[in-house]
Amino acid sequence: MPAKSRRLPIDHFKEGSVKNRSFSKHYLLMLLPGYLWLAIFSIVPMFGLVMAFQDYNPGQGVFHSDWVGFDNFKYLLSLSDAKSIFYNTVFISVMKILGNLLVPLVFALMLNEVRSRATKKVVQTVVYLPHFLSWVILAGILLDIFAYRGPFNHLMAFFHQKPILFFARADIFPGLVIGSDVWKEFGFNAVIYLAALTGINPSLYEAASIDGAGRFQQLRHVTLPGISTTIILLTVLSLGNVLNAGFDQIFNMYNPVVYSTGDIIDTWVYRSGLLNLQFSLATTAGMFKSIIGFGMITLSYYLADRFANYKIF
Amino acid sequence: MKKVLIAVLAIGLVGMFVFAEGSDPFGKYDKTVSMNIGKQVDPNFNYPEGDNPENNIFSRYLLSTLNIDVKNAWQAGSQSDYFQKINLCIAANDLPDGLGIVTSQHLKSMVNANQLADLTDAFNQYASPVIKSMFEKSEGQAAKAVTYNGKMYAIPNIAVPEDSYHVTWIRKDWLDKLGMKPPKTMAELEAVAKAFVDKDPGGNGKGNTVGISGPQNGGKLYATFIESTNNAFGFDPVFGSFHSYPGFWLKGADGKAVYGSLLPETKAALAKLADWYAKGLIDKEMGVQKDATQPIVSGRAGIFFGPWWMGYWPFPDAFKTNPNANWQAYAIPVDSKGLYTPHGGMTSNQFSVIRKGYAHPEAAIKMANCLVRDEGTFDQKKATIGDYPLRVPMAFPDECVVTIKALNDVLAGRKNPSDFDTPDYKVYKLLYADVSVIRAVKLSPVDNLDSQYWDKSNPNFARMYSLLVGIGAQYRQPINKTMSVIWTQTKTMESKWATLKKLEDETFLKIIMGAAPVSSFDGFVKNWKAQGGDQITAEVQKESQ
Repeated sequence: MPAKSRRLPIDHFKEGSVKNRSFSKHYLLMLLPGYLWLAIFSIVPMFGLVMAFQDYNPGQGVFHSDWVGFDNFKYLLSLSDAKSIFYNTVFISVMKILGNLLVPLVFALMLNEVRSRATKKVVQTVVYLPHFLSWVILAGILLDIFAYRGPFNHLMAFFHQKPILFFARADIFPGLVIGSDVWKEFGFNAVIYLAALTGINPSLYEAASIDGAGRFQQLRHVTLPGISTTIILLTVLSLGNVLNAGFDQIFNMYNPVVYSTGDIIDTWVYRSGLLNLQFSLATTAGMFKSIIGFGMITLSYYLADRFANYKIF
Repeated sequence: MKKVLIAVLAIGLVGMFVFAEGSDPFGKYDKTVSMNIGKQVDPNFNYPEGDNPENNIFSRYLLSTLNIDVKNAWQAGSQSDYFQKINLCIAANDLPDGLGIVTSQHLKSMVNANQLADLTDAFNQYASPVIKSMFEKSEGQAAKAVTYNGKMYAIPNIAVPEDSYHVTWIRKDWLDKLGMKPPKTMAELEAVAKAFVDKDPGGNGKGNTVGISGPQNGGKLYATFIESTNNAFGFDPVFGSFHSYPGFWLKGADGKAVYGSLLPETKAALAKLADWYAKGLIDKEMGVQKDATQPIVSGRAGIFFGPWWMGYWPFPDAFKTNPNANWQAYAIPVDSKGLYTPHGGMTSNQFSVIRKGYAHPEAAIKMANCLVRDEGTFDQKKATIGDYPLRVPMAFPDECVVTIKALNDVLAGRKNPSDFDTPDYKVYKLLYADVSVIRAVKLSPVDNLDSQYWDKSNPNFARMYSLLVGIGAQYRQPINKTMSVIWTQTKTMESKWATLKKLEDETFLKIIMGAAPVSSFDGFVKNWKAQGGDQITAEVQKESQ
C-alpha cells in the first residue's frame, strides 16, 4: 500500500467539496470552546513572562516592577537544582512516553489475538478504569500499597524480603512514578491501537493464511504494517509533551528525600513561586521549560509531516 | 437665645460623642461595619445546629458588641492550603479586608508590595491598656516584629516563652508495664525506646510498635529562627541536648553570628539520630508519612517530641482510641552535665493584617481588645477559638507560670478560686476561668498527673492537662535556653533562603534516614556557603552587632 493512500480523517477537511465545507462549519463551531480555553489559559498568561526579566513586586505589578535583565536566568543556572530538575524532567517524561507507547501496543496486540469477544470486552474495560481516577486519589492508594507496613511489603515478607521504604528511596522513586503512570494509562492508550486494528481488512489475514503464514508471521507482515502509521503518529505527537513529566502525579507522591531524582521543573516552579513567593525566579524556570517545549513541538510537527503525513497548516 | 443654647449643647454633645467614639477601645460602631476576611477553618469541628465557620458565637458576639459584621471572603481547610491562598492573594495584589494568621514572611512580602494599612495611629488610639501592657512586657519584641520604617503594619501575637521549649512525651503506662523509670539522659531515652520496640508493651504485634515517632511529609525536623515555636513531632529536644540549635543564628565563640545548622554539634546530633533510625528506634516512615498524629492516635508510638499543648491535639483522639494511654511530658533528654537546654523563641511570629485602603483599620484593634477581655467567657464547645476573626493569641510572658502556680494552689487547697477574682489577676485573661474549673477536671489524688486521674470528658480537660502536665514538666528544673540573634530574614535571604533551606532539609532528612552518609554533612556545609550562605552570614553578622 502506498503511503499516500493511508489518510487520516482530518484530511477530509482540506479536500472537501462545497457541501463538505458547510458541513464542517459545525465542527469549527465545536472547536470554539477549545479556542477560548486556549486563549484564557495559555495565550493571555503569556504576557506574564515579562516577570522573568523583572524583580517582580505584586504591589507595583508587571508595569512598574524593576527590570533586571537576565539576572534571574543567571541565578537559576547557577543553582545546582537547575541541572537536576531539568534532567529529572526529561528522564521521567521520555521514559513515560516510551512506556506509554510500547506497553499499550503490546497489550493491544495481545488482546487482538483473544478470540472470546466477552473476555476481550471485560479485560478492556477493567484495564482502562484507572485512567479515570485523579492522581490525588491514586497517589494516596499507591502510598498505602507501597508503605513500609503496606500490603506490598507484607507480600514480600513471604519471600523473606526485608521491608523497603519505597517512597524514601531516590533510586526507586522514578521507577514508581513511571511504572504507575504507565499502569494508569495503558488501558486507555490501547483503545487507539485497538481501533486501528479493527481497521485492517480481514481479507488480508485470509490471504496471508492461504499463503501459509502462521500467527506470528501474520502479526509481522499484516498487523504491524497496518497500524504503523498510528504508531508513528502517536510517537511524534507525544514529543510535544516531553517536558510534561506530570505535575499532579509527582506532587502527590514525592517528599524531600527523593527530590534528587523526583523533583521536576513543574514541582520546582510550584514550590518557588507559590510557596516561597519568588515569583520572578519561578517564571524564569517556567519560561525555560516553555522555550524547550516549543522547540520540541516544532520538531514533532516536522517529524509528523515527514513520517506520518500529518499536517495541520 | 434658646436656639443658640440648644445649638451649643448639640454641638457639645456631638463633640463628646465623637470624642467618645474616637477613643473607646470597646466602642460600638453606629453603623454596621462589614469586613471580609480570609480564614483557616477546622473542617472536622462539630458546630451546633445552624452554625458554621462564618456564622457562630464569635461572629454574633462581634456584631452585638462592636457592630462589626464579619464575613469569610474565602476559607481553607488546612494550614498549607491557607498559606497558599494567601500567597496567591499577595501575587494577585488582591487581599481580603483582613487576614487572621500570617507568617513573618507573608508580612514582609505584603509590606514590600505596599499592600497593608498603616495601623500606627489606630493602635495608639484604640488598643486597650491590657494589650498595651502586654506589648511593654514583651520587651519591645512584639512592636519590633510589626514595625517597618517606623510604621506598624500588623497586630502581632505575643506568645508565652513556654511555646518554644519542646518536651519529650512518653507513654508512662508502657514504662510502668516494663518496670522502667522515666529516662533522663540520651542513653536512658535510647534504652526506653529500644525496650518499647523490642518488648511491645502496647501489644501492637511484633514490628508494629514505633519507639520514637517523627514528623510527617513536609513537617519540620526542628524549629527555626523564622518559625521558632510550637514544632510538634520534630526532634528539637535531641538537638538541644547536644547543644545543637540548627535553624538558629547563634553567637559564635568569636562573638560573630554563625548558623547553627553548620556546626559540629549539629553533625553529632544528626549522627545520633541516624544511628537511632538505623536501629529501628525512630519510625521508619518519618518524613514520608502523611499524618504524624496517626502513630500516636492509633497507640503504636511510645515517644515523641513536641510543645506543651499536646493535650489539645492530638491527645483527645489518642485517649478516645486508647483510654489507658498515659502520655506524660518530660523536660529531657538532658545534656552531658544533666541540664535541660532547649532553644528559646521569638515572642511574635504570627500576625493579623488589614489591607491598605480598608475604611476601618481600627476595627481590627477593637476586635483584639474584645478577645483579650472576653476570651475566658466563650463556650469553647460551640466554636473553636481559632474561629474568632483575626485572632492572634496574646498573653503576658509570665501567664503560664502564674497559672500553674494558681492551679496547684487551688488543687492543694491553699487558695480558693475566689481569691483570683481580683483586678490584679484579671489581666490574665483565662486565669479566673481556669482556677474555677480545675477541681472538677483533676480528680484525686491531685498530685498524681497520670491520665486515669482526670475527667477526660470535661470540656476544659485539654487545657488543664496541657498546663499541668506539659508546662509543669518544663518547670521541674531550671531552663537554660539559647536564643537566636535574629528572628527575621535579611535582604539576601528574600531571594536565596528558600534554596538554602531546601538544601538543608533534604540533606538532614537523608542523613537521618540513612539515604546519605553522615559525612555528606561536610559537603552540605561547603555547598551552603557557596550558594549564597557566606553572603547571608555576613549580613546577619552586621545586623546582629
